[in-house]
Amino acid sequence: MKRSVTVALLLLAVAGLIMLPLFVSPNFINASLKMMIAALFALAFALAMGQAGMLSFGHAAYYGLGAFAALHLMRAVEMKLFYFPTPLIPLAGGAAGALAGLAFGWLATQRTGTYFAMLTFAFSELLFTIAPGLNAIFGAESGISTMRMPSWGFSFGPDIQVYYLTLGWFVFCTLCMWAFTKTPLGRLGLAMRENEHRARFLGFDTHVARTVIFAISCMFAGVAGGLLAVANEAANYTTFSAQNSANVVLQTFIGGVGTFFGPALGAAAMTYFGRVASDLTRSWLLYQGLLFVLLMLFAPGGLGGIISLHVRKVRAHGWRHLVAPYLLCLVSGELLIAGTVFTIESIHAVMNDAYRGARAAAGGAWVPYQALGYSFEPLGLVTWAIPIVLLGVGALLLPVARRHTIAAWKLATTEQPPQDAPASVIALRDGAV
Amino acid sequence: MEYFVVSLLNGTVHGLLLFMVSAGLTLIFGMMGVLNFAHAWFYMLGAYVGFTVSRLTGFWFGLLLAPIVAGLLGALIERFMLRRVHHHGHAHELLLTFGLAFIIEEVLKLFYGDGLIAYQMPSYMRFAAFNIYDTNYPFYRLFMGAVAIGMFVVLYLLLTRTRIGIIVRAATYRPYTVEALGHNLPVIFQGVFAVGTALAGLAGAVAGAFFPTGPNMAVDFGTLVFVVVAVGGLGSVVGALIASLMIGIFISFAVGLDVSLASLLGLVGLGSWARSVGGLLTLQLSTIANGVPFLLMMLVLLLRPAGLMGDRT
Repeated sequence: MKRSVTVALLLLAVAGLIMLPLFVSPNFINASLKMMIAALFALAFALAMGQAGMLSFGHAAYYGLGAFAALHLMRAVEMKLFYFPTPLIPLAGGAAGALAGLAFGWLATQRTGTYFAMLTFAFSELLFTIAPGLNAIFGAESGISTMRMPSWGFSFGPDIQVYYLTLGWFVFCTLCMWAFTKTPLGRLGLAMRENEHRARFLGFDTHVARTVIFAISCMFAGVAGGLLAVANEAANYTTFSAQNSANVVLQTFIGGVGTFFGPALGAAAMTYFGRVASDLTRSWLLYQGLLFVLLMLFAPGGLGGIISLHVRKVRAHGWRHLVAPYLLCLVSGELLIAGTVFTIESIHAVMNDAYRGARAAAGGAWVPYQALGYSFEPLGLVTWAIPIVLLGVGALLLPVARRHTIAAWKLATTEQPPQDAPASVIALRDGAV
Repeated sequence: MEYFVVSLLNGTVHGLLLFMVSAGLTLIFGMMGVLNFAHAWFYMLGAYVGFTVSRLTGFWFGLLLAPIVAGLLGALIERFMLRRVHHHGHAHELLLTFGLAFIIEEVLKLFYGDGLIAYQMPSYMRFAAFNIYDTNYPFYRLFMGAVAIGMFVVLYLLLTRTRIGIIVRAATYRPYTVEALGHNLPVIFQGVFAVGTALAGLAGAVAGAFFPTGPNMAVDFGTLVFVVVAVGGLGSVVGALIASLMIGIFISFAVGLDVSLASLLGLVGLGSWARSVGGLLTLQLSTIANGVPFLLMMLVLLLRPAGLMGDRT
């Protein structure tokens, strides 16, 4: 995309976020606030992973430390020990994250790849297991809570004020991280990701560089934690849980770790769907896991990778020849998704205690179950025909759609060699289609 | 004394169970460099399969089927998923298995609900093997230990005394040389992956009947399994055995001891000072016992990444 188009799109997005509270319900304001925090956390994680190839399986440690540091500062302000403006509270989170990241990163970055992942995992698990025992710092099992104090003429009582506070921090941090990727250190991170030996051979102290990049990533994770503390006014030791570390990994890779904004979009989308879908289905985590594994298998670049691949593709060859095969893909994909969702929701509706109770009450008969807003007979012909037909037709269409899509991509690349043909050809070979 | 003997026995059995699960993981890692994040989820799968089959046909049949189901699933995952992403590198394989762990857990929850399931040993195995002082020591714990020891002996003999074992061991050191000598490397990998996951499934079916079986069992156990594999040395079966016993016995002792740094300092007359400082110094060992394995894991990975018995990093 042209630079000016990118900037315009980003300004539009920020304007949209500023205007958002005018159009949505208060409940949604809170949801979008959490989405921004998740997006910031994912961007921080992606800074270490995407920029320097450091796969951290314990980023919740710095997120949690940031949250607790912010809470302690808020507590001190609440007890009138000293004055500190509420909007700047996340600074404490950033400081805590950076310090912890610097100290632990100095040790952990001596290792790479799987060993680094295991080290970061061990550190966050260590925090998670000892935090409930440390009363003074992490407030035992119940955690610590406090109140936001008014400052700068705002009360910081209603969600809307917290929303704008979070938005301000989100935009500021995103700009900082974007700028960081352009600095020499950021570029060195890329070099180390591709080939650390060569970077060292060129005379760079890669250990120091990796430590600093990791600490910066942890700092922004800490800011995200601090924002969470400001929003929730409370936190307990579960902030350190492997669940939080796992979520940020899932969301970032679904969004696409190779692109700058992919992780943020992935985290925001997954958090949003997590909220919306948790009302509709109890199997949301299963759908998220399936999406993640499918992307890992067929499109390692994530959703962001797919989009950026297509932006380049469309700019080089236009989009008309892709319409027909993609429509086929869409139909096939929709059928498969519909069949999968129907199956999962049906299993869920039948395999639980409530349904077993209903069956027992009916004397063991297979009583109708409710799924997706309709009632189905468990042994009915239609009930079994729906998923079989959906999945069957979808699976039959899939190879056809795949063949046509590959043909369309190849046709375009051979007819009019574009500037970035190698990239698209490589993507094609790697099965990104 | 009673506490000592019982804790030692419990710890040994717990350690042997840990070993059953981590043996497969360490073999897979040593051979393919794949850290199978989902490994403990095969342990969970084994317990759920054991439960389902034992309700239909009987306990022993469940014990037989659980490793078969886990091993088959492992073989399929290796063939159709891991092999696809192999060229993207080890971090990518780790991420894929991480996603698979999610799916296994959620699918099991879909069928069996979010709560614990009532997987029980058969009633004729529910008796005290012997009495230590006043404690009845359950026979089933000894049974679990015996299964694990039996498995270790079989695995050890298989690896050191058979032709397949020689090829597998050679493939962990020089995979491409083995391939050049005409052995089908992908099939060897697939076989090791299947055996590793089958062992985890067997452990799940055996242990699930004694310990609580529920959606959290994989996470609780899985974290410890990583510790064992890292401490014992990635790829070393003997190292995994030593590390498992160490960690099992340590946890078993630590949860029952009311010791803190302050009480240790009390021995040299600094007790009251330590108590006034508080914080980490007065933390009871029992409350931080679960954290100590992770500390150990961090130390080993930092100081000696090859682990206790490993010879490679």
